[in-house]
This record gives sequence, C-alpha cells and structure tokens, in this order.
Amino acid sequence: MKGERNMASNARAKEKPTFNALWQRFGTFGILILLLAILAIARPGHFFSTSTLTQILAQSSVNILIALGEFFAILIAGIDLSVGSVVALTGMVTAQMMVAGVHPLLAVLLGVLLGGVLGLINGALVNGTGLHPFIITLGTQAILRGVTLMISNSSAVFGFPASFTRTISVNVFGLIPLVAIIALLAAVVLSFLTRQTKLGRNIYALGGNREAAWYAGINVKLHTLIVFMISGLCAGLAGVVLLGRVGSAEPAAATGFETYAIAAAIIGGTSFFGGKGKIFGVVIGGFIIGVINFGMNLLSLPSTLQQVVMGALIIGSVALDRFVANKK
Amino acid sequence: MQAETLVQMKHVRKEFPGVTALSDMSFDIRAGEVHVLLGENGAGKSTLMKILSGVYTPTSGSIVVDGKAYKNLTPHDADRLGIRVIYQELSVIPTLSIRENLFVDRLPIKKHGPFHTVDHDEMQRRAEGLLEKVGLRRDARTLVEDLSISEKQQVEIAKALAVDSRVIVMDEPTASLTHEEVRHLFDVIRALKAQGKGIVFISHKLGEIMEIGDCVTVLKDGANVGTHAVSDVTADDLVTMMVGRQIRKNYQDENTPDSFEQEEVLFEVQGLTRRDGKAKNVSFRLHKGEILGFAGLVGAGRSELMDAVFGAAPKQSGRIFLHGKEIRTKSPYRAIRHSLAMVTENRRETGFFQNFDIKENISLISFLKTARGGGTLGLIDRRFERECAERQRKALRIKCASIDQLVAELSGGNQQKVILGRWLAAQSEILIFDEPTKGIDVGSKAEIYALMRGLADSGKGVLVVSSELPELLAVCDTIAVYREGEIVRTFSHRDATEEKIMLAATADGAE
Repeated sequence: MKGERNMASNARAKEKPTFNALWQRFGTFGILILLLAILAIARPGHFFSTSTLTQILAQSSVNILIALGEFFAILIAGIDLSVGSVVALTGMVTAQMMVAGVHPLLAVLLGVLLGGVLGLINGALVNGTGLHPFIITLGTQAILRGVTLMISNSSAVFGFPASFTRTISVNVFGLIPLVAIIALLAAVVLSFLTRQTKLGRNIYALGGNREAAWYAGINVKLHTLIVFMISGLCAGLAGVVLLGRVGSAEPAAATGFETYAIAAAIIGGTSFFGGKGKIFGVVIGGFIIGVINFGMNLLSLPSTLQQVVMGALIIGSVALDRFVANKK
Repeated sequence: MQAETLVQMKHVRKEFPGVTALSDMSFDIRAGEVHVLLGENGAGKSTLMKILSGVYTPTSGSIVVDGKAYKNLTPHDADRLGIRVIYQELSVIPTLSIRENLFVDRLPIKKHGPFHTVDHDEMQRRAEGLLEKVGLRRDARTLVEDLSISEKQQVEIAKALAVDSRVIVMDEPTASLTHEEVRHLFDVIRALKAQGKGIVFISHKLGEIMEIGDCVTVLKDGANVGTHAVSDVTADDLVTMMVGRQIRKNYQDENTPDSFEQEEVLFEVQGLTRRDGKAKNVSFRLHKGEILGFAGLVGAGRSELMDAVFGAAPKQSGRIFLHGKEIRTKSPYRAIRHSLAMVTENRRETGFFQNFDIKENISLISFLKTARGGGTLGLIDRRFERECAERQRKALRIKCASIDQLVAELSGGNQQKVILGRWLAAQSEILIFDEPTKGIDVGSKAEIYALMRGLADSGKGVLVVSSELPELLAVCDTIAVYREGEIVRTFSHRDATEEKIMLAATADGAE
C-alpha cells in the first residue's frame, strides 16, 4: 500500500511537477525576485541604475561568503556563532600586517589562512570537549572579539596601501564587483565540494545521522574539523573583503553578522536538523539579506527600524517557506 | 489461596493493522498474590500491560474491576481504579527530588488567604512514610538523578502507594538490578503482598519466578497457554510451555558438519575485554561456511561485544584475526578497510540516512573505502553509483519505485536490504548482523535468512546476534550463549534447543 503511494507520487513528480516541488526548488528564488520587484516599484528611478545593482552585489558578497561557511556548520546539525568575530579578527590582523609593511597579497593570504586556523580551533574544541558547537562558538565569539579589541587597542586601523582597497573595490567591466566574483568563485568551489566529492557526501551523511555515519566508517571528528575549518576560511575571506571595501579595520566590525549568515543559510533551505541544504540556496539566501539591507537604505528607513524589519523578514520568509512546504 | 479478585481480564483481543498482538487473553489478578507473566519477546506482554493501564483499547473483550466490566478502560480509569504500571524505562523525573516525584500531580497545599503554596512539611512527612514502606533509606529531598536504578524503582513503587494503588504491574523490574538489589526488591514485593496488593510481575528469569511468584501465566503468540500455581510447575515445564510448539524452518545445509573444527578459520577473536564488563576475555572462531549466532538475554552484552569487535566501541584488550592475520579495528573505518561489516540493531538510529536516497545509501561505504585520506579524498562517480545500487537492488530484490527513492519510504524489510546492499557493494568479507529482523514481517524475514545462508555458502563470514531464539535456531550452525559478558556455552545447531539455550542464558548463577 505504501509502495503504491510512493510510486504514484514519483510518477506524478515526473509528469507534472507539483506546486510543492516547484516551491521547494524555486521558492527562495521567488522571494528574492519579489523583494527586488518591491524595490523596483518603490524607487524605480534609483533601482534601474546599474550602480544600484552593482552595489547590491557588492554588499551581498560579504554576507554570502560568511553564509557559505555557516552553511557547513549547520549542515552537520551544528552552528558557528563565531563567524562575525572571525571576520573582525582576520580583517584586523590583515590590516596590521599591511601597515607593518607586509606585501598586501601575502597579508591577504595569511589573513584568510588565519580564518581557517580559527575554524580549526573551533572544531578541535568541539571534538575535544564533546560540547555542542553552539556553546563552543558562543565562547569563541566573545574570545575572538576580545582578542581583536586587545590587539587594536580598541581603535580602528588605517593607512594600508591604497592599491589594496582599490583592487578589492574594482568593478569588472565597470559593472560586476570583484568581490561578487570572489563570492561566486567560492560558491562554485564549495558547490563542487558538496555535490561531486566524497568529502561532501560524508558531510551530508554526518549531518543526516551522526550515529549511522560512525558505523558506516566516517571519521566523525575529522569531518567536524574540516567543516569548522571551511567555516573559518570563508569568514577569513569575508574579513579581507570587508576590509578592502570599508578601507579601515574596525574592532567592532561585523558584529552580529553570524545572525545574517544563519538567516541566509536557513532562508536558503538549509535544515537546522542537519543533512539537508544546497549551496545555491545559500547564495540566494545571502542575496535576500543583502537586498533587504540595501533596500531599507534605499527607502531611507531609519537604521533603528531596519533591525526590526530585518528580524521580521527573516522570521516571515522562513515561516512562509515552512507553511507552503507543509501544506499538502 | 482463593483471595479476593481485584482485576479480571476477559477474552481480551488486540489487533493492530496486519498483526494480532493478543488473540484471546484471560487472567485474574488477586489480592495478596504475585502473578507472573512469562513469554518470549513479542508474545504480547507489553500490549497486555498497555491495555491494563488504559493506553490501548482492546479490539474485543473487557477488563472487570469491582464487578464492573470496562470495554474501553482509559488511563484515567486505570488511575482511579488503582492500577499502576511500572515500565522498564522508569517514568520518574530525574531533576526533581524524591518527594516532588511522589506527589508531582498532587502537591500538598497550604493556604494563606488567597495564596496557595506548597506545603513542604506535609509533603516531607508523607514522603517519609511512603519511603519507609518501600524500605528506601534516603532523604526525601534527594534529587532522583542521584539515585541508583534500584532506588529509582523504589521511588516508582512508593509513587504507586502514594495513590493507594491496589494492583501494581512491574515490567521486568529486575532487568538492570544487581543480585543484592533483587533481594531487596523481593522484600518490598513481599511487604506489598502482605498489605493485600495484587502484583503482576513480568520477567523471564526462571529462578526469580520460582522464588517470588504465586501463580504464573505463560503467554505465547498473544494467547494464554496456561495459568498454574508456581508450586505445581518446574522451571523446565515453563520453558517448554513458553517456547512450545514452534514451527521452524531451517536454513542450515543438509550436509552441515556437526562441528566446523576441521574447516578453515575465517575470523577469530581472542581474549576481547571491554572496560565496562560487557565483554570479559571473550574468544570465538568463525569457520568457512559457518553462521555463528549469539544468544542471550537483553543486556547480556552481545551488541556491546560486536561494537567492540567492529571498532565502534573501545576495547581494553583482545586480538582479532582475519584469515589468520591479525587486524586492528580501532574504529569502524579501520574495520571496514579490513572488509568487516556491521548491520546494526536500530536501522533508524544507526543504520540508514534519512536524507539520502537508496543509491546514496548503498554507495556510501564503497565510496569511503576507495577514498584516500581517511575516507575523504575522491570524487563521486555517479555512473558507478547508479550501477552498484541497481546491482544490489536486483540481487537483493529490494522493492522500490526506483533507486532515487528515499529509504525512509521503504518497508522495514526493504530498508534492511538497502543496508545489507551497502555492505555487499563494498565487498565485505565478515558480516555482523545485530537483530537482523527486528520489526520485519515474516516474509522478509525468510528472505533475509536465505540471504545470510547464501553469504555463508559463498565463503563470507556471518555472525548473528539475536534475541529471537527461533531465528538463531533457523539460520545458525553454531550458537554461543552469552551471559554477563561471557560465552557460557556453545551449541551445534543439531543439539541446540530453545530450552537448553534458555536455561544456559538465564541460570541465575544457581548452578
């Protein structure tokens, strides 16, 4: 009886995709288009200038980069709350290296690697203590923020080579921001990792059923370590990118960005229970956050209200997704 | 002997879709009597308990209390009528104190005008009285999580007394108790008897039953196959009644030797010991063509032994040999590299991946085995994935719409085949089956038995842990009886009987 029903539902899916199936696939994309449409109608003059789209792309890129890493942490049914602090610390260290005369390229590379090392520390702490990543990264979030404040004496760092900020802020063909290309490249690489590699398959397995993964021979600790390293690397890359766009290293930079990253991953369809989600969804989720942020500036809403609207939209979009998905 | 009848079960039948859990069950619970319920796993004991406590409504038949027949007794009725079931997984709340647990739904109240507060003094006084009755010498303010299992059980019994229960049903209360604690529990039960309570005692430890029981009812396949005064029967009688006329189909070969001693040794474990005592210096050999089964009571440590062999749990000491060469199984990954396989007991928890479809579930271990870097480096070959999943689907006759279907949608038997297919696709040599047919219907069971025999015949090693004796007798060539972390006896299938195995597995250290 059960088999028949499954066969029937499968056959149906092949012939005529149900609304449900369509929503699963393109729902988040629809929300993005909807938001863009609202902006286009509200501020047609501004919206249809190329600089607006370029700005949205550039602004979303940092979100997307962080969210890409966060995605992996959530994929194994964990979380990484330290990403905002990792962004700040890697940006600060990169800035200080450049001010000290290190070649910008080397400084950038070391900055990103530092992000990876911080991620490894998170992973090692999770493995070593057996505590939930929520607790570990809540702790490292505070610790890394503190370290950033300490090494900067709580003040911003400027005065690094203009070539660096100029390069980061370059728009390819005057249209596409370099940072968006960086984010896209990262997304392509990570999408390949999740879809085409055994490592990616193992991570999904680990997120889907940790116990079963252990019995199936997956090295749970090694994969946890790798996942947090990826999260750290992405945050490190985001830190360098943010540094170049802002032009100074602020000790309080990226405060609360973990919320946006988590929101982007969840809006993009990543399951909080682990094992389910796609990179494409995360990219769209990151865009949505970027568009919301940018749109509220465009509509010149007061910044105090922006926080409220952002929160409401996060709840609203995920609730809408669940509501539609659960309606049979 | 003819004391007042407290509760009568009359011709109770309970059907679930596709299964009849109880076919025609009648029995009486009398005041001041310990009535033992005896039966194999799946005989219907837990269904019966849930009917008594009002959780399940019988399909037909009734429960008579105080001369009134209840066709659908509710949990509320059961409570009101003083019927209390103490389940094996105790229902005390660990983070509350003993006294709060005792009165959790009826806290004594003190009134101060419009305000009502908990009367702690009254609660303490009443709790102390109850604890004395069950012989628990603990301050009633102690948190329940700080108590031992037997003490928690005493709290449960006290809780039953707090509501003045007349009938107390205990589901295998001695399963996780030490010898001393069992003694103590029996003292409490005797005290309850003296107070005129009716006790239903579920257990399959024969020694205990003979000691504490007044009368015994044997359940088999959902029916009462006989109620006797304990003084009229022997332990052997009970075993015969319990396993009785089991129709069994055998999967052993016609020409299976009596002993495999002459055959090549495929796999050997020497002196395996676990720190938690679930394996004490265990050694066994698996020969070519042989299926070796492990019988024993739940909690004897069979699964834990296999976990240690497979590297899923740490070993304190012990050596493992495959084809005469020593191998190290530090982790499941290492074990898998040496072509070991483990079909775990709980498919849902430790078996398949709900987020994966059939082909992804089947290919996972093959991919892992061929990956470098501790199973991490390598690309997914989708054509290989499809081919290997299709091959297993055909070979094992997995019933599914396609290999793109989610495993969670399949029946239990087909899920088990997917998991087996995963190991066969990875060319496993030694397969460990832990309760391979748990929750699987009769038809699929037979298929899985045939598959296991086929594997052994093709030269692979098969180890089986099962709590179903008919299953072990049907497929195994050799049966090792495991008790408290040790192999206590080994039978060839030719002279193994359920009776002999049961005796070896249950002997309470009396012999």
